[in-house]
Amino acid sequence: MSTRRPVAATLAVAGYVIMIVPILFVVATSFTGGSTLRFPPEGLSLRWFDAAVHHTPFITAMVSSLQLAALATVLALLLGIPATLAIHRGRLPGKGLVEGLFLSPLIVPELVVGLALFQQLMIGLRLDNFTVLLIGHTVLMLPYAVRVTGASLALADPFVEEAARGLGASPLRAFFTVTLPLLRPGIFSAALLSFVTSFNNVPLSLLLQSRDFRTLPVTMLDYVQQSYDPMVAATSTIILAGTVLVAVVAERTVGFARIFGGINR
Amino acid sequence: MTVAAEFQQVTQRFGDFTAVDAIDLTIPAGQLTTLLGPSGCGKTTSLRMLAGYSTPTSGRILIDGVDSTRTPPERRGLGMVFQSYALFPHLTVAENVGYGLKLRKMPAAERKRVVAETLDLVGLGHLAASRPRKLSGGQQQRVALARAIAIRPKLLLLDEPLSNLDARLRVHMRAELRRIQAETGLTVVLVTHDQDEALELSDQMVVMREGRILQQGAPVDVFPAPANRLVAEFLGYENFVTSADGTLRTVRPEHLNVVSEPTTAGLTLEGVVVDVAFRGVDRLVTVDADDGLGRTVRLTADVRDGAVTARPGDRILLSADQAHVVTLAG
Repeated sequence: MSTRRPVAATLAVAGYVIMIVPILFVVATSFTGGSTLRFPPEGLSLRWFDAAVHHTPFITAMVSSLQLAALATVLALLLGIPATLAIHRGRLPGKGLVEGLFLSPLIVPELVVGLALFQQLMIGLRLDNFTVLLIGHTVLMLPYAVRVTGASLALADPFVEEAARGLGASPLRAFFTVTLPLLRPGIFSAALLSFVTSFNNVPLSLLLQSRDFRTLPVTMLDYVQQSYDPMVAATSTIILAGTVLVAVVAERTVGFARIFGGINR
Repeated sequence: MTVAAEFQQVTQRFGDFTAVDAIDLTIPAGQLTTLLGPSGCGKTTSLRMLAGYSTPTSGRILIDGVDSTRTPPERRGLGMVFQSYALFPHLTVAENVGYGLKLRKMPAAERKRVVAETLDLVGLGHLAASRPRKLSGGQQQRVALARAIAIRPKLLLLDEPLSNLDARLRVHMRAELRRIQAETGLTVVLVTHDQDEALELSDQMVVMREGRILQQGAPVDVFPAPANRLVAEFLGYENFVTSADGTLRTVRPEHLNVVSEPTTAGLTLEGVVVDVAFRGVDRLVTVDADDGLGRTVRLTADVRDGAVTARPGDRILLSADQAHVVTLAG
């Protein structure tokens, strides 16, 4: 490959280096025995991991982030899947407009969404910040729910539901025995993408934080601003390990090609 | 004759477009009826209305003598084979074929037996455990057929079932369809745009165009006597000739012969050869007939026939026997 397509190969290698090397630095630093965030690490120790898993604000924030991501993912799928079905299979007037509406959170700056939610819901309606964050994250994930499940629906033979009906299935039965199983890989990938998007989100979570409820990235950001010790690196390494584990499980069970293509083939 | 289904003045409009225009049609039980016509002639729309996937704008559809115009597809008990096959990709071949039986609450043991029998009928018994995407197009087509047959449908509906197969397989599957129809005794309605397929398979063929039925009957009756020019063109007639008295006559390319002297009976034409194309079993000769209309006629001649040595630019005399000249209504 490197001899035949030198430019592409160089770019690919550069891409990997740019993406992976900084992460390796963070991982290496987290095992330091010293007390500053510095490379190369001074000695080898697990003390910062010990500190991280005993740092109450991080643990609370981690639980909050997981709760928020899980709930928002479920909500986004509950709203997004029926919307996808209506867009792809229904006789909806103005389908393009509806799809555009569901995809718009991809384009509208998150700070604008966050500010609007802050003004209207938190100040205006006095909703508590968890509810507002949940609404905000759900909105951010809708494009994934609609787009990714839509991709798997668009690739399926449009006549399979009719075939099921012809063989004696009621519309509901056809949905549960044929349409839903066809959507399953799409739903799985939409859920995975949504969860990761919510878990990693900073702008919205930063704007809508409160003393009682803040997510892990926001808490870590706060921490780094005050103290520059390797505990943040250790926390990052733990999260990275968790993400890699999820990725490995996903690859083994469904396969990335299917997940990110949302394809049932 | 027992009637399996009947269209009574059935019309289907989509906005301003009339896809099917007040057709009357009787589907005889135990026979194979083909709806034949070019795309957009209303044949598939008719089949979909019969299956229950679309409701006519007006008119009635009777199945087994019962008005079923508004009956949903799941309560019609018909078997449909889609052009794209529409197999369930998440189920095995056996599960696909058993899907309709499961919905009918057939006990598992009996279901297994019927699935095995039906797969044997279409010659796919060995692939029962495979997934549809592992199969070739021809095999997928047989699975779709087995799935539709397994439920013992009142009617078997086939929408262009052979059009996605390669030419050799298509011809083979025609014979297969005939055998399966004979073995099961099913009433079959088949939609096609291929006149050879319709001629070979049909007990009754229905020629459609622009939402109307132009002609219907047994192939042996329709083929030699097309009702009008549109039907004739669709059945492969060429060489349309208007006589002095205004009657329109036609003769198929294979029935025109090169002659040395004009004949009194039948049709005689004179003209200049434009092109000679070698086609293996025969040659296709294109001739500009000199009757002032600039008409082009075509004939085929057996390659072994040494008499045909015409080259472009030669003047030749052509004639057809009266028996092969078809007079058309319009």
